[in-house]
Amino acid sequence: MISEQAKQRMRELAARYPVARSAVMPALYIAQAEEGYVSRAALEAVAEVLNMTVDDVESVATFYTMYYQRPPGKKVIKVCNSISCYLRGCDALIEQLERRLRIKRGETSPDGRYTLLTTECLASCGTAPVLQVNDEFVENLTPELVDRLVDQWEAEFQAEGQSQGRSPAGAGGC
Amino acid sequence: MPELIITKHIDVPGIDRLSVYRQYGGYEALEKALREYQPEEIVELVKKSGLRGRGGAGFPTGMKWGFLAKNEPRYLCCNCDESEPGTFKDRMLMEKNPHQLVEGVIITSYACRVSTAFIYVRGELAYAARQVQRAVDEAYAAGYIGKNILGSGYSLDVIVHRGAGAYICGEESALMESLEGRRGYPRLKPPFPAAVGLYGGPTVINNCETLSTVPAIVRNGADWYASFGTEKSKGTRIFCLSGHVKKPGNYELPLGTPLRTLIYDEQYGGGILGDKKLKAVIPGGSSTFILGADKVDTPLDFESVAAAGSMLGSGGVIVMHEDTCIVDAVLRMTEFYRDESCGKCTPCREGTYWLVQLLERIEHGHGKMSDIDLLLDICDNISGKSFCPLGDAATSSITSSIKLFREEYEYHVREGCCMVGPKARKPAAAAL
Amino acid sequence: MAEEAKNDGLVHLTIDGIPVAVPPGTLVWAAAKQAGIEIPIYCYHPKMPPLGACRMCFVEIEKMPKPPQTACTTPVSEGMVVHTKTEKVLKARRGTLEFLLINHPLDCPICDKGGECDLQDFTLRHGPGATRFDLRKRHYPKPIPVSDRMLLDRERCILCQRCTRFCSEISMDNGLVMINRGYRMEVGTAPGEAFDSIFSGNTVEICPVGALTSAKYRFKARPWELKRIPSICNNCSVGCNVRIDVRVDKIMRQMSRCNDDIDDGWLCDRGRWDFDYVNDVQRLRTPLVRRQPGGALEPAGWGEALGLIAERLRAVKERYGAAAIGGIGSTRTTNEEAYLFQKLLREALGTPNVDHHHGFFPGLRDPLTGRPWMLTTAIADFERASHIVLVASDPYERQPILNLRIKKALKAGARIYVVNESSTELDRLATRVIRLPQHGAGAAARLLLEAALRQENLRNPREEVRARVLGTFQETRQAEALCGAETTAALRELAREIAAAPAALILYDEMATLAPGCANLAPDLQALAVVTGNIDRPGAGVGPLFEDANSLGARDMGLLPDSLPGYRPASPAGLSYQEMLTSDAVKALYIMGANPARHLADGNLRRGKEFIVVQEILLTETAQQADVVLPALTYAEKDGSMTNVDHHVQAIRRALRPLPGARADWEILMDLAALLGHPWSYEGPEDVLLEIAAQHPLYQGLTWESLGLQGVRTGEVEVAHA
Repeated sequence: MISEQAKQRMRELAARYPVARSAVMPALYIAQAEEGYVSRAALEAVAEVLNMTVDDVESVATFYTMYYQRPPGKKVIKVCNSISCYLRGCDALIEQLERRLRIKRGETSPDGRYTLLTTECLASCGTAPVLQVNDEFVENLTPELVDRLVDQWEAEFQAEGQSQGRSPAGAGGC
Repeated sequence: MPELIITKHIDVPGIDRLSVYRQYGGYEALEKALREYQPEEIVELVKKSGLRGRGGAGFPTGMKWGFLAKNEPRYLCCNCDESEPGTFKDRMLMEKNPHQLVEGVIITSYACRVSTAFIYVRGELAYAARQVQRAVDEAYAAGYIGKNILGSGYSLDVIVHRGAGAYICGEESALMESLEGRRGYPRLKPPFPAAVGLYGGPTVINNCETLSTVPAIVRNGADWYASFGTEKSKGTRIFCLSGHVKKPGNYELPLGTPLRTLIYDEQYGGGILGDKKLKAVIPGGSSTFILGADKVDTPLDFESVAAAGSMLGSGGVIVMHEDTCIVDAVLRMTEFYRDESCGKCTPCREGTYWLVQLLERIEHGHGKMSDIDLLLDICDNISGKSFCPLGDAATSSITSSIKLFREEYEYHVREGCCMVGPKARKPAAAAL
Repeated sequence: MAEEAKNDGLVHLTIDGIPVAVPPGTLVWAAAKQAGIEIPIYCYHPKMPPLGACRMCFVEIEKMPKPPQTACTTPVSEGMVVHTKTEKVLKARRGTLEFLLINHPLDCPICDKGGECDLQDFTLRHGPGATRFDLRKRHYPKPIPVSDRMLLDRERCILCQRCTRFCSEISMDNGLVMINRGYRMEVGTAPGEAFDSIFSGNTVEICPVGALTSAKYRFKARPWELKRIPSICNNCSVGCNVRIDVRVDKIMRQMSRCNDDIDDGWLCDRGRWDFDYVNDVQRLRTPLVRRQPGGALEPAGWGEALGLIAERLRAVKERYGAAAIGGIGSTRTTNEEAYLFQKLLREALGTPNVDHHHGFFPGLRDPLTGRPWMLTTAIADFERASHIVLVASDPYERQPILNLRIKKALKAGARIYVVNESSTELDRLATRVIRLPQHGAGAAARLLLEAALRQENLRNPREEVRARVLGTFQETRQAEALCGAETTAALRELAREIAAAPAALILYDEMATLAPGCANLAPDLQALAVVTGNIDRPGAGVGPLFEDANSLGARDMGLLPDSLPGYRPASPAGLSYQEMLTSDAVKALYIMGANPARHLADGNLRRGKEFIVVQEILLTETAQQADVVLPALTYAEKDGSMTNVDHHVQAIRRALRPLPGARADWEILMDLAALLGHPWSYEGPEDVLLEIAAQHPLYQGLTWESLGLQGVRTGEVEVAHA
């Protein structure tokens, strides 16, 4: 379900542009922020607000790689593997991440924690190799830095799991 | 060190905030433009400065503005969809000095009598988009954007629009399709955007770096700007140096600076990584032709790089040293075009799919000798036949690399492995 | 000579050395076509704007940069020199075809499109003899349904986007779209969504390969086995031109046959796929006779059946008088059959009671214009309208192809207003939707007219209308009360727009006139158009959208109680449709191709009736109650003319051999007339048409030959006022 507030933000955006349809991309971002991906509900909400068909929205959404067609992991790791990062050894780092996260590129871990993606040039060639975690950059990667990153994520998840385990809401959660 | 223009204040702490930007002369150019110039006079000024587009094609900026059809409403699109492999200057300009860009957008909008301007920021650059949005918000609050700017009677709306992952949207007409809420397919030309662009209105579209340069030209004059660079390639530009150099990064240099200076000078690239031998350079982003090491003394201006057999493009200088397997590198670049082809036209969509498969086969040692000429012929069937320049771009590295390093392709076919680099067969193994 | 040629308003160029002169703006592709030169295309379709995507139509144009150019995106210019067969061009085309084929499965032997496939054909004529691709093809699961009527084979798809652009540019429903991008791009819908447009079949037809196939036609025939007969769709009043494709006396499919003035090259799914009744095994193949009252219908010979009809009708006439016989005609039989039907009733049987099921229009003609009740504009001129107002009319459901014409007008800048009780497909695109209460159309028309009459500078203030409407303010009050304040205000606003519109087109559904409170729907809307000056101006107009393929023809031919053929008044007037069904004075009913049982609450036709004859193709509710049922032929088995909603008279042609045992309605009527002592001497429908043409102002001078393949729009001839 897309919240009424989200739809209201989409409507405001639609009014900001000379033509409402121009708001389809920001509206998809808003819907994705609520659903985690472009779900059926997301398609329907955007279609409704912008007076488009769901097929039309789907067509736009699938053109752009940043709209997820499936629920991604909590941490989406995008590693650049274009030419400059390639020259700086990104392939080894991708393999290292595959080993550490126990998933191959393009996959989401069964526990829903990680999605590992390779991506095209991230405009960070001067600080290659580079990756993004949920759209934020980590630059000048080294094997050591990759290990530290994974350790840090694991620690975060562990802490999160413990705090959830303790919270009454978590215990009685639906 | 030559005088810097666009990156002059880039490392000033807090320059991304309006207050600091103003301390360094920020928005004085806008005030001057509104106070002292008619819009057409700014167009003339920029024409005189010799500024050429920094997005890739190098078209004279003032002339582009002059082509704008007279009907209204008119639009400005600032192309910040920086995605060309090897290019990372616009991201830096947006993240570090967004007000400079916003000021350029406002002055240009005034010069072109535009009432709504869009800054299209590449989707992956979330932080850059936030920075630009904050600068726009601050500029609105300070009265630099909005109704009756600084009492001049001129009004402007600026909308920051985020892309969502599509290289093709850096192509100007695809960017407009995307802004209109559609799939980013390039449009038929003619009509050109200056006549029929965004929402059918006359539209001026310029690259982020181009517009970031405008305030300095207005502040210091056309002659001052034209005093940098060469006769035909005036001013400075940011070169994005990456790959096998000791100090990769963005370096602003006058046009015409020799490639060797950029790569080897201690102030810039500082030489080849591991002091190895230079093998090849891609001078203007992965869409441009590869140059051999013999071209290292080429001056980096539009004309000289063209004469050397490539293009200045987006300023993305990618350096490869002697241990680079050219087939693997070209495969990597071709995969990019296969993945980023919008799919609209047959040669680009199907051709890049085929090229990647052929290159994979060669790289992995299953290629046939005839595959090399087949690659060239497929490139010929794409180049000049595709709907937009993306198809042409996909072939540049293949044709130029076969021309320069054909023996490496043949080696792959004959020996079933790379001739150089980590995957080359070790001498001991070769003996077996 | 040369100078004369330059001043002809055309653009002159040469293509492969052949001089061509074409209007400015013509694309090189079309100019070449005119010169008889084939330039292969996939993405381009003449009814859609150029796309330039497939890169197949390469040509070389002298003095243009970077050869080759695409012929489908390049307009001609004076003095242009085009070459379509240079080595550069041929290599580029071979290149594109090779690219298209690398991912195309070579399953031509089992592909429906095989034999009429542009990929096959162009490969043969322009392609490389062999492929150099020896790698992995792209694979998808074999055909997936995109609706219950269509399948999509993504492996065969060449991604030309014709189908998706039909959905975005023509039907504007965006039902089929492109999904993903680059080499992963495919045609599709949103997950779980069906492509359920009434226009979906057009995408199958314009697909240049076998990617989109129709579930109905799949694996049914090879194209070269088909006999193709030009005809007219029988499913609604638009009269779209079709090609009936027949194999071994069965209709396999119907395809569109472009008529720019009517269908613009499109055909709706009903027209395309709803022809099962023609091939139905339940078709009547022999006359049926009820030999005992209350007994069953039993098979009989034609002699017995016709003899019985003549005998019983004579008996009714003798006992009760001719006026005890009623004739109910059809809206789907030909003009010639409708004409002979009323002639049989009026002349051979002597009864004035002739009617059919139709909307309510007071009098023979609209009194303000003196014209018969029909659309005052041509379908093609919809495109020139500035405002299109749809009152109680939903063409998408009832006259689908008109919906596309309205959308074309919309693209040309027309504003669309939907005034309706229920939601319609056009609501999404409408400038304004005015929602009416149940049976509110009559009130809406009244309010529109009343508000228009109050406008200053009314273009054509007609005193009689002003007197009628403004003098009966009580009716206006009632209309306001029914519609409510908000709707009333919206209607008044709309009336102001109509009064000021450069060209407003006002459309209403014929059958909406039958709803309670809607008796004045037709005259009020007609008056609205007249007083606002929206008649006889390009793009402007008013009129009913009729229901069936020959609804207007039935009116023209005098299947009305008060009208003879040509809208001459009948004297005395006969009983109406409803009266005939319910009046005890009518003892015998002769029903041709109609199903009045559906219009009676209990469906019982027999009340008070002693004898009922039905000519039909299937044993309908009505036929089941008849004393004699005569098996008739469908539109696909006979010749004749039909008159569509904007008065195009068009020919239907025999595509199938007649079903054994059944006969065309006109043949049956002729035999019966002879038995009743009126031996007519028509050799066939052609002769009947000549007789109609001789006496009917709207058919003046028509001959079978003059109808040609695209019909003739008549009505321009001034009708003599009675």
